[in-house]
Amino acid sequence: MERLSNLSYKNQRLLIILLFSLVPVALLLTFSYLPVFKMFQYSFTSWDGFSKKMEYVGFDNYKTIFTRPEYFTVFKVSLYYFFATFVQMGLALYFATILSFNVRLKNWFKGILFFPTLLNGVAIGFIFLFFFKPEGTLNTLLDLVGLGAWQQKWLLNPHLINISLAFASVWRYMGMNFIIFLGAISSIGSDIYEASEIDGANRWHQFRHIIIPSIKRILQLNLILAVSGAIGVFEIPYVMTGGSNGSGTFVIQTVDVAFKYSKLGLASAMAVVLLGIVILVTILQRVLIKEEK
Amino acid sequence: MKKTKAVTSLAALTLMAGLFAGCSSNNNTDNTAATNGGNTGTGTEATAAPEGDAAKDIKGNITVITQRTDIVDTVFKDYAAKFNEKYPDVKVNFEALSSYEDQIKIRMGTSDYGDVLLLPTSVAIKDLPEFFEPLGKMSDLEQQYTGLEERTVDGISYGIPVTVNFSGVIYNKQVFKDAGITEVPRTFEQFQTALQSIKDKTDAVPLYTNYAAGWTLTQWEADLATVAGDREYVNIAQVASDDNFVPGQPHYDLYKVMYDAAKNGLIEEDPTTTDWESSKADLANGKIGTMMLGSWAIGQIKGLATNPDDVGFMPFPTNADKILVPLSDDYNLGVSIHSQNKEAARAWVDWFINESGYPTTEGGGMSPVKGAELPEILKQFEGTDVTFDTLAPAKAGEEGWVDAIDKEAEIGLWQPDFKKVIIEAAIGNRKDSYDDIMKDLNDKWKAARAKITAAQ
Amino acid sequence: MQPFKYSAASFFKYLSLVLGALAALIPIIVVFFASLKTNAEYASTGPLTMPENWLNFSNYTKAFVDGKMLLGFMNTIIIVLISIAGATLTGSMMAYILARFKFRGSKLLMGAFLLATLIPGVTTQVATFQIINSLDLFNTRWAPILMYLGTDIIAVYIFMQFLDSISESLDESAMLDGASYWTIYWRIILPLLSPAIVTVIIVKGVNIYNDFYTPFLYMPKSSLQVVSTALFKFKGPYGSQWEVICAAIMIAIIPTLVAFVSLQKYIYNGFAQGSVK
Repeated sequence: MERLSNLSYKNQRLLIILLFSLVPVALLLTFSYLPVFKMFQYSFTSWDGFSKKMEYVGFDNYKTIFTRPEYFTVFKVSLYYFFATFVQMGLALYFATILSFNVRLKNWFKGILFFPTLLNGVAIGFIFLFFFKPEGTLNTLLDLVGLGAWQQKWLLNPHLINISLAFASVWRYMGMNFIIFLGAISSIGSDIYEASEIDGANRWHQFRHIIIPSIKRILQLNLILAVSGAIGVFEIPYVMTGGSNGSGTFVIQTVDVAFKYSKLGLASAMAVVLLGIVILVTILQRVLIKEEK
Repeated sequence: MKKTKAVTSLAALTLMAGLFAGCSSNNNTDNTAATNGGNTGTGTEATAAPEGDAAKDIKGNITVITQRTDIVDTVFKDYAAKFNEKYPDVKVNFEALSSYEDQIKIRMGTSDYGDVLLLPTSVAIKDLPEFFEPLGKMSDLEQQYTGLEERTVDGISYGIPVTVNFSGVIYNKQVFKDAGITEVPRTFEQFQTALQSIKDKTDAVPLYTNYAAGWTLTQWEADLATVAGDREYVNIAQVASDDNFVPGQPHYDLYKVMYDAAKNGLIEEDPTTTDWESSKADLANGKIGTMMLGSWAIGQIKGLATNPDDVGFMPFPTNADKILVPLSDDYNLGVSIHSQNKEAARAWVDWFINESGYPTTEGGGMSPVKGAELPEILKQFEGTDVTFDTLAPAKAGEEGWVDAIDKEAEIGLWQPDFKKVIIEAAIGNRKDSYDDIMKDLNDKWKAARAKITAAQ
Repeated sequence: MQPFKYSAASFFKYLSLVLGALAALIPIIVVFFASLKTNAEYASTGPLTMPENWLNFSNYTKAFVDGKMLLGFMNTIIIVLISIAGATLTGSMMAYILARFKFRGSKLLMGAFLLATLIPGVTTQVATFQIINSLDLFNTRWAPILMYLGTDIIAVYIFMQFLDSISESLDESAMLDGASYWTIYWRIILPLLSPAIVTVIIVKGVNIYNDFYTPFLYMPKSSLQVVSTALFKFKGPYGSQWEVICAAIMIAIIPTLVAFVSLQKYIYNGFAQGSVK
């Protein structure tokens, strides 16, 4: 490969850009964009997902969606997760910050906080069913600490069910955000802190003026992903409640339409609508973040 | 098909260009994928397997897809060994899918869905010939099997039921005794009274819905024929009517039982965290009074009981003149149209149903083979006014309409969704009344029925 | 190291850490307890009741043998290793050109990767399945590997974040010595990226290890089961014993835990500081 260096840097640059992006872009197109493209195609048909008949029906599916407001009422469920997202980010950032300074048993705490992320989604569904049962972990705990009066039927009460599920979601994903933030914070050189301490900065100043700016990019990305994740919530409610008792989300609805009622065309149209909403919200976020600067 | 080729990303890239250009892949494997899926299977029909010496000549590898994840590595392996005693040159591989319907449906879009599989309930009856080998004329197969009408198109059968189930109420006799119920409740009113006495006089949950598992709620739909008291109701009268869910109709009465029980606090305390596995043990040991299930569950529940004789079966309550316990197919077993070893596949189907013992043991129902013995638990009904009968098939040309209307309407007769809504409404988590829910279902039914009947 | 001060602030700090740790652990401890209980014991005791016999490993042997966990581990290891190696390479290459070169289309590329992450994967299953099938990869280990290989934006971002802290003067001085970009990437950038690589390995590895839907859909053949699908076999409408499932969950957790514990010091002690001097 040493012959590369005989080329001028300009040509090298071109070559390296092409070479390095070839495989990722090929994979991206094959497994992300091609399926979306096909999904678009399906959304204009009445295909059931497996038979050889695929009738073109124009915009019928989209008409169906927009004339049925009940399809959109489920988005209020996303609000719970949306709110939970900020709790999750806040916790992750808080723990990542205090654990990047000197704390006793630091590595223990890091490991423990990260641990839930290592679990399998279905295991988590089961763990939390167990957790929220009437005689389950949470109520037993409340009893232990003398808060027996606070016991609830966490999944039965329609006002609590989504909060409970959002809690499970925070429990599951907080560790991942935490570890990513921790990684980003640990790449800040210690000399910067030292310099700031000489200038008399306290922890809050350091957090505000050193940590936040240097992990801004990761923070923004995580926020965008978390918000779009809140719109596309699927696994936790699906595994735990199957979307019943008012915990259904748009994606669960889409999956039901596709597989329970064999309307893949309609489901694809729903997925396209969902994707549109996610993209809109993301653009909105970026604009908002830009304005803040 | 050879599938051992490591595809490099570069190959994937050239392939993709090919896909975008709209032609099929040409990565020089002997790929017989979906491009030639149109053969109708005539001439290569999976005829009934030969006996005796001829059986030795059947060769090949077959893949059998099952939903029994629980016994695929144990019981099924034994089946394969026994099968090989008769057909030594057939190698049987198993694939078990845990969410069978969802996974198989995605695979049906390709040509790779095994050699022997269960006919998915989601494939419309009239589409069966697209995917499955004809097993023979129904008029011939009828001599040997029952329950063929559910998967027969134009007189040709595409599947044989792995077992035949009967549905109703599984109950704990000791709980009934403790509650002072001396006579098995027959009408809706008697049934609710019985549940109330269980609540008043025992610690047992009168009726356990198994709401959380979801699929358990679909078992209620199997009792529709009992409520109607007519074997022609489900496939004939139902599709002929616009008023499927109005008061006085079987569907309305059927789910009213569920609603009333939930409304009067006769179900489990917290439906959202029920656990199917422990419910079986609880019913077996007197912590639960009744559950609505199919016969397949009886064996499992008895197996968990300290006193198996406590586990009883009774028909679903009804106000009809005669009590009809419907016999309905479990999954049907069929052969994929894309199978490379149709003879071997067919041999497995026949052997599995006639010789493996599955229908009555693991399947937990009655054998579809004509002349097979009645299960022990049903012998109590001999000489009573309870009759066991299969459902009358749909009228010619109307095959699969119930299903088609159901899907078009997004009602989900065999899905848990609206049953969950009924329970949520009954315990006060929703504002709608029972009549609101039924009216909504009926409106959907009516609109979809108009659409489906017009399209035919 | 500052002297340890007992102040309200540090009390609150430790209280929050302990609470966080408890919240993270209790739901799992419950599973651990359940995995050591007998069937009868499981049915009759509360979740926080400790098991009678701490050495009751019968559920573990049952889960391991009946669930053919060993086979699952073999397949998982193969898939995880290849996918992670590939994803690390492609991710770091992508990050390298995006962070170091400003070229037309770099914004577009970035956007394309981000957009792909926003697509709810569940909804495109059917189309993806058709693609895998036409590549003739169904029921092979390559199906999930290729799908996991797809560079995800998280990896790219982590690498880019890290590249920002690696001074460009390093590249420049190497260029003065006549090194090619290729050499710079291999000899300078990649080694310096190690802490970020470890983070990416953890993040991706965990995702792949726990993902069940992809192997479930694309590799139903029983000889190709992975850990998470092995776990699933215990579940189903026909029979499952939760105490055995709990044991299976614990078995599935242990390797990740070991991998995590042995890799954690690399993550925590980002040694980016030394690179600039």
